[in-house]
Amino acid sequence: MRFQKKMCVAMILAGGQGSRLTVLTEKTAKPAVPFGGKYRMIDFPLSNCVNSGIDTVGILTQYQPLQLNEYIGHGRPWGLSSSNGGVHVLSPYSRSESAEWYRGTANAIYQNLPFMERYNPDNVLILSGDHIYKMNYSGILSVHTANNADCTIAVLNVPIEEASRFGIMTTDETGRITEFQEKPKNPTSTKASMGIYVFRWEVLKKYLTEDNEDPTSSNDFGKNVIPSMLRDGLRLFAYEFSGYWRDVGTIASLWQANMDILGEEPLLNIREERDRIYSRHYSHPCSYIESGSEIVNSYIAEGSSIYGKVYNSIISTGCTIEQGAEIHNSVVMPNAVIERRSIVRYSIIGEDAVVHANARIGDNPEFYEKNKWDIAVVGSGKEVPQNKAILPKEVY
Amino acid sequence: MKAMGIIFSNIYDSTLAELTGVRTIASLPFGGRYRQIDFVLSDMSNSGIYNIGIITKYNYRSLMDHLGSCADWDLNRKNESVVILPPFAEGDNSVYHGKLEALHTAVHFLERADYDYVVVCDSTVLCNIDFRPVIAYHIRSGCDVTVIAKKETKSSGKKRPLILKTNRKHTVTDMMLDTAVRPEYYTGMGMFVFNRQQLVDTLNDTYPKGLTHLEKDYLQRRFNDGSIKISVYPFTGVVLQNQDVLSYYKNSLRLLEKDVRDGLFNPDFPIYTKIRDEAPTYYCEGSEINDCLIADGCTLYGSVKKSILFRDVFVDKGARIESCVVMQGTRIGKGANIRHVIFDKDATVRDGTVLIGSPEHPIIIQKGETV
Repeated sequence: MRFQKKMCVAMILAGGQGSRLTVLTEKTAKPAVPFGGKYRMIDFPLSNCVNSGIDTVGILTQYQPLQLNEYIGHGRPWGLSSSNGGVHVLSPYSRSESAEWYRGTANAIYQNLPFMERYNPDNVLILSGDHIYKMNYSGILSVHTANNADCTIAVLNVPIEEASRFGIMTTDETGRITEFQEKPKNPTSTKASMGIYVFRWEVLKKYLTEDNEDPTSSNDFGKNVIPSMLRDGLRLFAYEFSGYWRDVGTIASLWQANMDILGEEPLLNIREERDRIYSRHYSHPCSYIESGSEIVNSYIAEGSSIYGKVYNSIISTGCTIEQGAEIHNSVVMPNAVIERRSIVRYSIIGEDAVVHANARIGDNPEFYEKNKWDIAVVGSGKEVPQNKAILPKEVY
Repeated sequence: MKAMGIIFSNIYDSTLAELTGVRTIASLPFGGRYRQIDFVLSDMSNSGIYNIGIITKYNYRSLMDHLGSCADWDLNRKNESVVILPPFAEGDNSVYHGKLEALHTAVHFLERADYDYVVVCDSTVLCNIDFRPVIAYHIRSGCDVTVIAKKETKSSGKKRPLILKTNRKHTVTDMMLDTAVRPEYYTGMGMFVFNRQQLVDTLNDTYPKGLTHLEKDYLQRRFNDGSIKISVYPFTGVVLQNQDVLSYYKNSLRLLEKDVRDGLFNPDFPIYTKIRDEAPTYYCEGSEINDCLIADGCTLYGSVKKSILFRDVFVDKGARIESCVVMQGTRIGKGANIRHVIFDKDATVRDGTVLIGSPEHPIIIQKGETV
């Protein structure tokens, strides 16, 4: 079989278990977690690829792949069902001499070198499946080419006090990276890596092969591959991004990112015509909004029935909010049911969960000491019995 | 019991002229996110009927645009497919007049298909029906034709194309055309099951004789001379049929009744439509939405009551909308006051406009019009 050459192939790392998302990722991979009413996290990098004209995408997954596989399918919802390129879900597989799981981000890409090889790309774009942002990758790709760079890393300016949570880069006046520190104790720069890398294909292949042969390596881009390229004096550049970007690794950040799409001028605008986010659709009829309901500053996706009150919240596809129920500052994931007179505040209600009547879930932060309060979570498919109270920070 | 399908896309165009100037009646938007044909096409797809001919006459560009490869209806298959059948021009007779003549344009499609039965449907019937039991019923009855029909409980002045009386075994004993609905009689829903070979033979026989009308020139004529037996499949679910602007308007608003919605939308038997990638609908601070059906992609600041909003509708601050059908892409300006209006796609209402129709005479704003 022959493959046409591609300028750029994108590889999305979607193998993370997402254990910090607890009950939301019990049965699903983190990139398949619902977001923003009708999307899943993976829709963001995938749609960004499509909107940037990248038509060949590999998704690397190994944890609970069923739902993600099913969701991606043949890729038609994203226009990626092309027979030359398209989207491919790449799971670990056994070879003639060995069989192993992905041992780290770099190892996952290493194991799929044959996939990229077929397209003989100029560059390979490495992305994460659990970041929420809109970005046209043609910007970073053209800067990469103009700099004649071996690797270009997208960076975001973060507050100095947060810098020690990220991979931090120091650059010279041309944007060339002079130093890279993974989660430094005393950061000297605020340019944080967004986990978005463009590599020249030949360079990537060489360094991943070397990294794989090094038994002491932890096979991680940030810890191993980037530092060894810097040591060898390769041309590494930073590409500054100033738009919205969130790593949604925790319950709090997942909730916050959902809240960030609300408002008339939201931090992340999913309504604008430009750079749409695409997703797989299930055939729901329109939402029905009963008289006597009240909806303020909220998104309601199709297929929902709203009889109660919804404030500052995201109600996903196929949900029912019964009479007398109230949803405040919360995320209700697809097909969840909130029964009569149940009050939900500052919570995430998982997919297919049922909150029976008169339950109380979560509460306002102002009534609690700072370390005693957090978002309350009801897991996917869980049933909360009648009259039950679930406290803030509690995971049900 | 392999069955194929035939759908008429234009048959009643002239009755809804105000809304079909730019499209076939099959592609008339309905129910917030659908086109009329989505219902019968989804019913066929859900019933395992994948080989479907859609007979068209004119204005079918919007229909082709809507259907695309039919993958959204799960009908993009290997050995069976949806075929659009434009008028088969033979000399001057390029445009047909009746359903029988229209079916003749599909005669080659019917001839070469390897199916025993044909389900023939109008695209204006909006219901959720599983054709599998209907076909089983047709086979059991041993009749030549099965008419899917709804039993009437009361009379109404409305004239319908096909009114039937049956015996206890649901075999037709009396047939009337274009007459008022009456109690204890069945009203044909514009859905039929034929034996394929028999239909092909009939078409080859009737066409040269200049017979064009399915009900009159075939069903009634052959029924009266005793050469065919017809049975009725009684359908008990919800059926909506949009025969004129008023019934279109009233049927749209009937979707606000839960029973009607539950009857049409069954999660296990979904109605599919063309996928567009709108964001969910955003309800702003100060919006007031009561008793409405709302599609994705809308941005709502104003007050909307007892209305159907299609995708991408924008309602500005202070606008008041009541009892309206607002199709895709319409923008309602600040402080506008609108009642009993049907907006075709992409209409614009300027700030402060007042438009009041009446429940029996809704105002129609044409596609792309600004008021």
